[in-house]
Amino acid sequence: MPEGSRWGEVRRYTDYAMLFAMLALFGLGCMSVYSASPMSGGVSVYGSRQLIWGAASAVFYIAILRIGYKNVFVATKPFFVLTLFLLVLLLAVGYTSKGAQRWFNLGFFRFQPSELGKVAFAMMLAHVCAIKPPTNWRNILLVFLLSGVTIMVILVQPNLGSSIVYFVMMFAVILAAGMSYKLLAAMILGGLAMLPPLFFMLQPYQRTRILIFFDPYIDPQGAGYNVIQSRIALGSGGLFGKGFMHGTQGKLHFLPEPHTDFIFSVFAEEFGFIGCAVVLLLFALLLWRIISTAKYTKDIKAKLYCVAIAAWIWFQMTESVMMSMGLAPVTGLPLPLFSYGGSALLSVVIALAIVQSIFVMSHEDRF
Amino acid sequence: MSKQHDRMEVERRLTLLQLLIFLTFGLLITALVFFQIVAVDEYVGLASRNRLRIIRIMPPRGIISDRNGAPLAVNVRTFNINGYPIDLQQSANVEKICALLRRNGIPMEGEELKALVAKQYSAPYRAITVASNLTLAQVAELVMDKDFNEALFVSPVWRRTYPAGPYTAHVIGYVGEITKEELETRKSIGYRGGDLIGKNGVEGVYETQLQGNAGQEVIEVDSKGRRLREISYQESERGEDMKLTIDLTAQRYAAELLEHYRGAIVAMDITDGSIVCLFSAPTYDTNPLTWGISSKEWTELLDQAERPMMNRAISGAYPPASTFKVVTASAVLEHKVVSTSTTVRCPGYFELGDRRFRCWQRHGHGSENVIKALRDSCDVYFYQVATWLGIDRFIATAEKFGVGERTGVDLTGESTGTIAGPAWKKRRIKENWYGGDTVNYSIGQGYVLMTPLQVARIYAAIANGGKLFTPKVNLEKEPEYRDLGISKEIIDILQRGLQEVTASGTGRRASQYGVAVAGKTGTAQNAHGEDHAWFAGYAPANNPKYAVVAIAEAGKTGSSVTGPMVGKMLNFLVNGTKYVEPKPAPQAQTSAAQ
Repeated sequence: MPEGSRWGEVRRYTDYAMLFAMLALFGLGCMSVYSASPMSGGVSVYGSRQLIWGAASAVFYIAILRIGYKNVFVATKPFFVLTLFLLVLLLAVGYTSKGAQRWFNLGFFRFQPSELGKVAFAMMLAHVCAIKPPTNWRNILLVFLLSGVTIMVILVQPNLGSSIVYFVMMFAVILAAGMSYKLLAAMILGGLAMLPPLFFMLQPYQRTRILIFFDPYIDPQGAGYNVIQSRIALGSGGLFGKGFMHGTQGKLHFLPEPHTDFIFSVFAEEFGFIGCAVVLLLFALLLWRIISTAKYTKDIKAKLYCVAIAAWIWFQMTESVMMSMGLAPVTGLPLPLFSYGGSALLSVVIALAIVQSIFVMSHEDRF
Repeated sequence: MSKQHDRMEVERRLTLLQLLIFLTFGLLITALVFFQIVAVDEYVGLASRNRLRIIRIMPPRGIISDRNGAPLAVNVRTFNINGYPIDLQQSANVEKICALLRRNGIPMEGEELKALVAKQYSAPYRAITVASNLTLAQVAELVMDKDFNEALFVSPVWRRTYPAGPYTAHVIGYVGEITKEELETRKSIGYRGGDLIGKNGVEGVYETQLQGNAGQEVIEVDSKGRRLREISYQESERGEDMKLTIDLTAQRYAAELLEHYRGAIVAMDITDGSIVCLFSAPTYDTNPLTWGISSKEWTELLDQAERPMMNRAISGAYPPASTFKVVTASAVLEHKVVSTSTTVRCPGYFELGDRRFRCWQRHGHGSENVIKALRDSCDVYFYQVATWLGIDRFIATAEKFGVGERTGVDLTGESTGTIAGPAWKKRRIKENWYGGDTVNYSIGQGYVLMTPLQVARIYAAIANGGKLFTPKVNLEKEPEYRDLGISKEIIDILQRGLQEVTASGTGRRASQYGVAVAGKTGTAQNAHGEDHAWFAGYAPANNPKYAVVAIAEAGKTGSSVTGPMVGKMLNFLVNGTKYVEPKPAPQAQTSAAQ
């Protein structure tokens, strides 16, 4: 069993820019959740819960740094199998919430396996693509099979948003792992050909969401309502925003799910263009440091893992921001580190802890 | 590490991914610049409009009362229970809300609620009405119920009610929701969809005065339209109250007199054209119309052979029959075709060419002058003098008396009647006017049609010395009249004739009820059934105050049916008391005490 990292090494080699970006995004996210959530006895309900989740996530972050990513990667297969098992189990006995079976109700909180599953999937992808590079059809089909099964069990929940995240992660990893551009082009064309039949496989509400994306004013008080209200929230923020706790759109419940799906709209309304630019720069910093870590490490598995995590955060960030501008369909994906949600926060922090550990341990390898 | 990987290629791919990532940030920033900086004004405007709701506050309509101050149209505060489809459509809520309503005495089943929502649905956040016309007590009980939740809210509504209901239905009219067509013409003067508007009668004619001015409240709401706070409040101005010339007790009396008939009674103050009583039978209750009736009930109101919604006093055009003979008499006297000494012999018929026109008195009246002819209602006299007069001069006089033109009463749905005449016949029937037509015209039969109100004002004009008033029901309205320019001598002759009618002629029964009446009977031939009975008169005969006209459809003869009605009504108006039968039956006493 490989050794972990000693505290001294962790302190010395930690990428503080990546840590800062993560903490800053979480901090700004907490402010927005605080602003967007209902008040109970002078305390913001979701805001305080999010802080508790943040504390729990910090414990995991530190523990993973100490254990070291290599020890975590040892558990890749069982972790992935457990994730698949939980996702299938969810289909059988899942707690029905808003028509979608996405949660396990564990009494004190609702656990969403598709979130932590992203970490397991990233590890599994990295593992498979490191051992069997997707440079020939056989290996590519293996990756497709593995990803296809995972994506299907999430898609039938139904959770279109998360299954797209999984797909993007897979795509980014095989691209990074050296898949030829010819195969890539073939894959893209094949994927495009699949789109029309896929559209008709979607649930009616999913189809509406996609149609609404093209023209939100089809049904301004119904499904298009969310898109219009969100764009109004963001647009009315202007250059400097309306100020913390002064957003009207979010405060007056015009935004649906303001503390999760539309958290960026809440933030954009209160902090304006300047605030949005800061958040985007923080995300850019975070993603830059993740890809830099991928470049830095010599461990091909770790490289591919970093790419998967970057793809995940990049896609959810882009989707969430574009959705709040009405430029992408409503998928219900959280803005990483920002949105309220225990499973999502914990999962992304664990994923980033592994990336940080990769950064720390690659120093150990060098010197 | 796997040798299968080309490390340089992986590094290149990572750089490519980095570039792609930075490209997306560029795009996202550009989009933010557009929405938050370039188009900011538009979105700021949208955001502020978003959370403001403007609520119209309808003022109470002006109260309408009769000449003695008895309320005829008032407003009652009632309450509606509203909710938002987004809350009401949740299956978990449906049964709970139904149970809540049922427990508080509002019958409601799940299916019914769903149907209500479906019917009124326009958007999930636009309120619909779940129950209406609740009293304060009902609402208080409902709101205090432990299960009353934010899915429902209460809004106060003014409802129009008519305390005298059927007794004044044709005068007052009723209010209803503004129609699309009405809205188009009235939008510019402040009406909005959903407003109540006077549809008929006084409610319709004096709409502007009764309506008042709507106020408005601007409130801030959340996305579900729930009130958060008030931004501004503009008080509504209540409508102006109105006093009518109508006397409610006279209306009730008219209803009693016409109890078994279809017809109308109109009473007019001869000195200023004020309508004291205007009743049409059968009548209907206007209250259900403002509170909402089913389409079945509505069809019943419209489709019945009885036509209760028709205001027979001003919309019913009937042959004026013998009541028209005063017009004939006036015409021949004016044009000096006859004088009081001119006599016509009545053998019971009149021959014109090869046609023979009968007098109602088969054996004839013998020698008649104008006064006697009025008294006996001798048809032959009028046949003869009208033939001498000729139709053109006749029509000129009829026109002067307002035949064929609306009286201009301040009520809706008035009919013009038909003045007829050669030009009219050519236009409408494409035939020439024959001498026989003039003969029929002279006794108010044939093509001439008049409303009871038109007849009433002619009798009022004869009673007041020749002033043809524009009838009115608004007490405040200035009297208007047109001088007929008839000499006092002619008026005297007509008055004497009408006095003779009740003193010793066909209308004797009209004067048996406590006041001396001058008037004229009429029996209008009805092609569709029994003859219509008319009586038109005024009282007191020597010092007239009121003119009253009654018509009973299929009432057969004016002398026996409508004569007593007019007599009793005039007695009531002049003496202030109802006529009591000499040997009162117990039932009659009860009704008189009402």
